[in-house]
Amino acid sequence: MRSYIPIARGTFMVGMVYRFGFLFTILGNIVYLGVAYYLWRSIYRYSDTINGLTFNETFLYVGLGSAIFILLKTYADWYLHYEIREGIIAIYLTKPIDLQLYMLFANLGSLLMNLMAITLPTAIMLGFVFRVSIPFGIGLFLFPFSLLLAFLISFSIDYFVGLMGFYSESVWGLSMTKEIIISVFSGALIPIQFFPEAMQKILLWLPFQAIFHTPIMMLTRPNQGMDIFLPMLAVQLSWALVLYFAARLFYNQAVKVLRVAGG
Amino acid sequence: MRSLAEYLRLYVIIETQYIKARMQYRADFIISSIGMFFSSLATLGIFWVILNSVPTLAGWTLMEMVFIYAFYMIAISPMQILFDHAWQIRFHIQQGTFLKYYFRPLNMMFYYMSEMFDLKGLTQLIVGIALLIYASAQLSLDWTLSRLALLLLTLFSAALVQISIVVAASCAAFWVIDSYPVLGLAWKLREFSPYPMSIFDGAFRIAFTYVIPIGFVAFYPSQLFLRPDEVASLVYFSPVIGIGLFALTYWIWNQGVNSYTGTGS
Amino acid sequence: MSLIHIQNLCKHFQILNRHEGLSGAFRDLFSADYRTVEAVAGISFDIEPGEIVGYIGPNGAGKSTTIKMMTGILKPTDGIIEVNGRAPYDNRIRQAQIMGVVFGQRSQLWWDLPVIESFKILKEIYKVDQATFERHMGMFDDLVGLSALYSQQVRTLSLGQRMLCDITASFLHNPQVVFLDEPTIGLDISIKAKIRSVIKELNRERNTTIILTTHDLGDVEALCRRIIIIDKGHILYDGDIKKVNALFGAYRTLKLQIDDFSEATLQSLKEKLGRHFGTDHGITVAEVEEFWTDVTIDQARTPLSEVLNFVMSNFKVDDVRIVEISMENVVRKVYDGALG
Repeated sequence: MRSYIPIARGTFMVGMVYRFGFLFTILGNIVYLGVAYYLWRSIYRYSDTINGLTFNETFLYVGLGSAIFILLKTYADWYLHYEIREGIIAIYLTKPIDLQLYMLFANLGSLLMNLMAITLPTAIMLGFVFRVSIPFGIGLFLFPFSLLLAFLISFSIDYFVGLMGFYSESVWGLSMTKEIIISVFSGALIPIQFFPEAMQKILLWLPFQAIFHTPIMMLTRPNQGMDIFLPMLAVQLSWALVLYFAARLFYNQAVKVLRVAGG
Repeated sequence: MRSLAEYLRLYVIIETQYIKARMQYRADFIISSIGMFFSSLATLGIFWVILNSVPTLAGWTLMEMVFIYAFYMIAISPMQILFDHAWQIRFHIQQGTFLKYYFRPLNMMFYYMSEMFDLKGLTQLIVGIALLIYASAQLSLDWTLSRLALLLLTLFSAALVQISIVVAASCAAFWVIDSYPVLGLAWKLREFSPYPMSIFDGAFRIAFTYVIPIGFVAFYPSQLFLRPDEVASLVYFSPVIGIGLFALTYWIWNQGVNSYTGTGS
Repeated sequence: MSLIHIQNLCKHFQILNRHEGLSGAFRDLFSADYRTVEAVAGISFDIEPGEIVGYIGPNGAGKSTTIKMMTGILKPTDGIIEVNGRAPYDNRIRQAQIMGVVFGQRSQLWWDLPVIESFKILKEIYKVDQATFERHMGMFDDLVGLSALYSQQVRTLSLGQRMLCDITASFLHNPQVVFLDEPTIGLDISIKAKIRSVIKELNRERNTTIILTTHDLGDVEALCRRIIIIDKGHILYDGDIKKVNALFGAYRTLKLQIDDFSEATLQSLKEKLGRHFGTDHGITVAEVEEFWTDVTIDQARTPLSEVLNFVMSNFKVDDVRIVEISMENVVRKVYDGALG
C-alpha cells in the first residue's frame, strides 16, 4: 500500500500547475450556484417547505451536490480509455503494479487537489455569500467516511466504464450516459426528495444516490440519530465493495482481449 | 474568391467521405447516439421533477418548458454537428498541428471546421424536432406559414448565438495554454439557456441577456411563439442577434489565427 | 523576373516577459513588459523559377519565420517580399493556390480518409480539371506507385508512405513553388533516397521551384545547386553548393573516448597530431563533453584512417565513433570564415 502513496502525491502536484484552470472552474461554480439560487428561489415562491425541505436546506443540498460533483470528477474513465486505445496500458501489465489500485491512488491525489482548490472555496462561498449555515450534529463526523465511500463508488463506476475501452473505439457515449444517469438520479442536481414516492424508493437502493445523496444528508441534516445514518452507511459500504470487486473481475476478463489481440 | 455555392459543394464532398469513413465504427456511433440522447434530456428531466412538486416555473407550465427545451435542442444542434472541431483547437495548438490550416486556398474557419462532422448531434436534432412537434400539438399552437418562417429564422439566429459562444470560447486556445476551463464554462452556460430568464435578476439577468446572451438561444425567441402578446421589445431582436454575434466571433477567430503564428519561431 | 523577391526583409516579435508564480500569472494578463526579438533581421535574396534552394540553419535561426512569410502566414515587420510578383500576406487564399507546402511529419491529408479520397478533395479545393488530375495521378503512380496506396486510410500509412503522399499531393495543383520542411526527418536511408529522387523528378518534370528546409545535409547535397544559410536572422551564405560542399562533404568528425582522460591528455593529443601530420594538416581537436574528444578532419588533406591509426597506436582508446559534420558545425565554420 505504501508504494501507492507517492502516486497520489504526484497527481496532486501536477494539479497544482493548472491554477488558471482552477480559477475558471471556481468561476463556473459561482455561476452555477447563482443559477441554482435563482431557480430554487423561484420554485420556493409557492411555499416555505416543499417535499419536507426548506429553501435553505434545498439550496445547501444542491450547492454541496455541485461541490462534491467536481470533487469526485476524476476523468478516470477518459484516462483509462485513452491509455487502452494508445496501447500505454501494456506498460502497466509489465510492471508489478495493480492497475486498479494505481488509478485509485492517482485519483485520490486529484481528489485532494479538487478538495482544496474547488470544494472548500465553494463551501466557504456558500456560507458567506448565500448565508447558508450547516447545523451541528453527529453527521458532520460521519461525513468524511461517507465521502470516502462515495469516492470509491464513483471511481469504481468510472473505472468500469474506462475498461470498456478494451471493446469499443470510443467511450464518449458510455461516459456521457453514465454521467447523466448519475447526475440526475444521485441527488447531484436535484434533491432525491423531489422525486415521486415510488421512484424515491427505487433510487435509494441504487448506487448513484450513495455518491451524492448520502454524504449530502450528513451535512444538511447532521442532527439525526445513528439509526438513520447507520443503514445509509451500510448501503454505501456494500455498494463500494460490490462495485470495486466487480470492476476487478471485469478487468481480469477484459484484459484477456488485450492478451489475445496483442494490443 | 469562391462563391457560397462552391463552398457548399466542397462541404458536401468532404463530409460525405468523412461520414463514410466514420461508419466503420458503427458500434461507437450507436453508443454515442444513445449517450447523446440521454445527455440531451437531462435538464428536461430536472424540469419534469421540479414541476411535479410545484405548478409552474416562474409562471411557465411543464408543456411550455418542453417547447422551450425543444427549441433549445434544435438550436444547439448545428453547433454540435458542424462546429464540433472547435473543441480540438487547443490540441492542435499544443501539438503544433494547427499550422496546416493556413496553407489551403480556403477560408480558414471553413477548412478547419469541415474536418469534423458530428453524427451523434443528429440525435439531438431529431429528438428536438419530435419534442417541438409534440409540445406545440399539446399547447395547440397555431402554425401559419409566416409563423413557420419566423420559427426557422429565429432557430437560425439562435443556432448562430450558440455557435458564436462556443467558437469564441474555443479561440481562447490561441492565447492561453490551458484553455479547457474557458470552453468548459461556455459549455456549462449552454445548459442554462432553456431556463426562464424571468427567474433571474441583477447581474445574472444582465449577463445572460447582454454579455453572454444565452437567453437568445432558447428562452427569448420561444416567447415569440408561446406568448406573443407578452414579449418585451428586446425579444424582437432575436432573429438578428445571431448574425451580429457571429460576426464578432469571426473577428475574434481571425485575431486568433493571426496572433497564433506570431508566437512561433 | 524572379519568382521570389525578398529585400531587406525583417520580422520582429514582441515577446512577453513572463513572471513567476500565481501573482506573476495575473500580472502577465495586464503586463506591457515586452522585449523585441529579431527573428529575421534584414535579409535579401531572389529565387528564379525552377530552382531548388536549400534553406538551412540551426534551430531558431529564422528559417521557419521566413517560410511563414513566404507562404503568407506572417506579415513582415519591414522590407519587401513578393512571390510571383505579389505580397503573400495581402491575399493568403489567392497565393495558396500557387503554392504547395509540406510541413515535417504532420500530414495535411485527411487522417480518416483513404488516400485517393484525399486527392479527390484536393482536386476540388484547387479546382484541378479532370484531365489534368488524371495525368498527374498517372505520373505520381509511375513515380512512387501511388495507386497501391489508394484505398488505404492515411492514418494507417507508414511514415515514409505518408511523406510520399504528402509530397505528391503538394504538386497536384501544379504550384509554382513548393515548400518542403524536413521532408526526410525520421526516415530510414532507403526511403530517404526514394523521397529525394521523387523531389528531383518532380522538379525536373514541372520546373517547379522548390524551397527546402532541412537539418539533413544529405538532402541538400542530393537536391540543391544553391544553398542559403541563415543564422540569428542574418544570411551567412547564399551561393553555389559546391563551396559549402567542400566544408561538409570532406569533413568527418572522429569522436574518441580516451582512457584516463585529463587536460594533459588533450594537450598531448594536440601536440602529437601536430608533430606527426605537420602544421597544415586540417585537423582540429576539441573536448566536447566530459569523456568525449572531437577530432575534426579535412579528408582532402589527411585521410581519416591515418589519423585513426595514429591515435589508436599512441593512446588507450576505449570507444570510437565517426560522424558526418553537423549543421551546427557547418554554420560555425562559415562563421569562422571558411567560405572566405
